[in-house]
Amino acid sequence: MIAFQDVSKFYDTNTALRNITLKIEKGEMAFITGPSGAGKSTLLKLIYAAERPDSGRVTVGEWESDRLKESDIPFLRRSIGIVFQDFRLLYNMNVYDNVALSLRVRRVSERDIKPIVLDVLKLVNLRHKVDSFPSALSGGEQQRVVIARAVAGEPFILLADEPTGNLDPDTATGIMRIFREINAKGTTILIATHNRELFRSTGMRVLRLDSGSIVEEMRG
Amino acid sequence: MRYPFRAAFQSLYHDRWINLLSVLSMATALMIIATAVISLYNIDLFSKKLPEKFSMVLYLKDNISEADREDIITAIKKKGIVKTVRYISKEEALKELRSSLREADYILEGLKENPLPASIEVRLKKEAVSPESVAKLVSFLKGLKGIEDMQYGENFLISLNSIKRGLETMGLVITSIMVIGTIFISYSTVKILFYRRKEEIETLKLLGATTGFIRTPFLIEGGILGFAGGLISAIFLLLFYYIVFARLGSTIPLLRSVVFYPSMAFPIPFAGLILGILGAQVAIGRIKY
Repeated sequence: MIAFQDVSKFYDTNTALRNITLKIEKGEMAFITGPSGAGKSTLLKLIYAAERPDSGRVTVGEWESDRLKESDIPFLRRSIGIVFQDFRLLYNMNVYDNVALSLRVRRVSERDIKPIVLDVLKLVNLRHKVDSFPSALSGGEQQRVVIARAVAGEPFILLADEPTGNLDPDTATGIMRIFREINAKGTTILIATHNRELFRSTGMRVLRLDSGSIVEEMRG
Repeated sequence: MRYPFRAAFQSLYHDRWINLLSVLSMATALMIIATAVISLYNIDLFSKKLPEKFSMVLYLKDNISEADREDIITAIKKKGIVKTVRYISKEEALKELRSSLREADYILEGLKENPLPASIEVRLKKEAVSPESVAKLVSFLKGLKGIEDMQYGENFLISLNSIKRGLETMGLVITSIMVIGTIFISYSTVKILFYRRKEEIETLKLLGATTGFIRTPFLIEGGILGFAGGLISAIFLLLFYYIVFARLGSTIPLLRSVVFYPSMAFPIPFAGLILGILGAQVAIGRIKY
């Protein structure tokens, strides 16, 4: 589903990623870990084409980075749901509209949007907050809205960049449970985190990055 | 309501004060454009009517023979730019003078003989009237024998033409500046809205929105701002015409000759719409991923 072939990325003279080769299989749930600045976010950005590799090739589903045109990027991103550490919710819209936005960019009709939004809000247990505005929600609730928004368009892949970075441990556990539920339905999930608690005793694959290279591959 | 329109209206409402200001600025600019265009139209109309009144009068020598006189008339008639040629005899000239003096014709009573010369009045085809064509005709006429003097509005013609050109240039300059001004107002308004929603746009990009999806609400906003500005300007123009012109028309006769149809105000909102969209388009520029 996701493949890196000898991928390197530089920012000016700094190496963000060096000769990365990896494969994430369809339906897999995997983790990328490592200290801040190890290149976790860059790796995710290469997947959703916010960055392009300086060498090597990134393959996401049918999309190949060296053949990807700028006009393809929106369509690539529709096959990926992204969960951000800083949420990136729109604070002038209520929960419903925030989630619906990811369907509206896909030009889904309003009639079809409603049942999907209510459905994904049920998945993250926020059905009762449908009319609330993000500013009235707790950090954990906001992150669940972000997850609902990310999965509403039924992407093949879900990327999460420090999804529990701003959350307390109990809330983080709840978020991870949701991820496992989504993964159980067949969505490939890749989570970047420096928090070892998230993958401890999950039995899932963990790639450890340091200074732009994969230094260890293990099972959580 | 479809998403782009809803997003546009939400943003228009959210930043209503800055938008109101933009609408008023655009209304002002569009009103200046409309005034300039209507003025140009009137100047053009006016300068087209003037040549109809343009005529030349050739005063003949008193001792000219009838044959020479007929030769002159035939020669003038052959000229392509000449419309009509009328011979006015000494007697007819006196009669015309008498009738134009009316009751004051007693001043002519002491005259022993008719002091007025015979003359030929030449009218030109109106499309042919220009300083150049008149000058050419004049030099031809000067070569003819039997003409004592000529009267034609040479200076009038030249100054009319230069005034017309000057006003046209001025009108074009004002119109161009205001067109650019209107686009710029829309540009800066949309640019501000665009910057304010930078985060939102980034999020939309990450959610897989196409450039069209991101762009459309802003174009709608620009278009609405321009259209509203145009509407206000059209209403003001009509009010101005009906109230000010109608009232002052009786005291200032020149105002009555201004040609203005209410239908001239109809295109203004649409001009505003187009300029508004254009400004928004420039403001958004190329959306990069």
